Amino acid sequence: MEPLTKISTLQTPNVLSAQNTLSVTPGEAQNKFSTSLKNAIETLNSAQIESDRKTEALAKGEITDLHDVMITSQKASITLQTAIEVQRKVIDAYTEVMRMQV
Amino acid sequence: MSIFHSINTSASALTAQRLRMDTVSSNLANAETTRATINENGEYEPYRRKMVVFESKDNSFNSFLQKARVGSSSQGSGVRVKEIAEDDEPFKLVYNPNHPDANEEGYVQLPNVDPLKEMVDLMSATRSYEANVTALNATKSMLLKALEIGK
Repeated sequence: MEPLTKISTLQTPNVLSAQNTLSVTPGEAQNKFSTSLKNAIETLNSAQIESDRKTEALAKGEITDLHDVMITSQKASITLQTAIEVQRKVIDAYTEVMRMQV
Repeated sequence: MSIFHSINTSASALTAQRLRMDTVSSNLANAETTRATINENGEYEPYRRKMVVFESKDNSFNSFLQKARVGSSSQGSGVRVKEIAEDDEPFKLVYNPNHPDANEEGYVQLPNVDPLKEMVDLMSATRSYEANVTALNATKSMLLKALEIGK
């Protein structure tokens, strides 16, 4: 009997929180979305800048670890790929919404 | 933990193996060096073989405390160099009375470097490096494969 009561108590707050998220105004939701998007893009940019800096240092002969440069550039490349994938998804969703019949 | 955790782990191993390679190069280069350091009597001493000692990166007090508190084992966070130790094996004595550093009996002290041992170390370091590069590439292809989900 114990597990059953636990499940029912667990589910009630979930429903409540679902109702709570509905009460978020569109402006707030958009603001949240844009901040997280901005943060993600800033992370991507910093990865690119780091890679750029290390490549330049390598060209100048200031870097002693070759693998460090390569790994940084690979990290930047993976981050960029992820960003591209997310962007593709977002645009897909947008076109899907635009095609909706009113 | 970020998605780059295992890449960072491999990167630390690459750095460590490269340092091992450096010490092997140094040992091989100085295999015949009779004048490496000057001891307290003002005499030259031969080169002593150097060895790299590694330690796990996450053995700080903080990480142990976290482990004890949360009770979960961590997934580790790479390797780092603890110290570069010197081998205290005795120097090799070679009879060569014409050598400038020969003692009264005509023996010269040569470094305790065994080129054979160094070659084995060298190959071990190279193979380790390759293994870590392979692990890194595998991680990268896993991440890129994950991006293909739902394509």
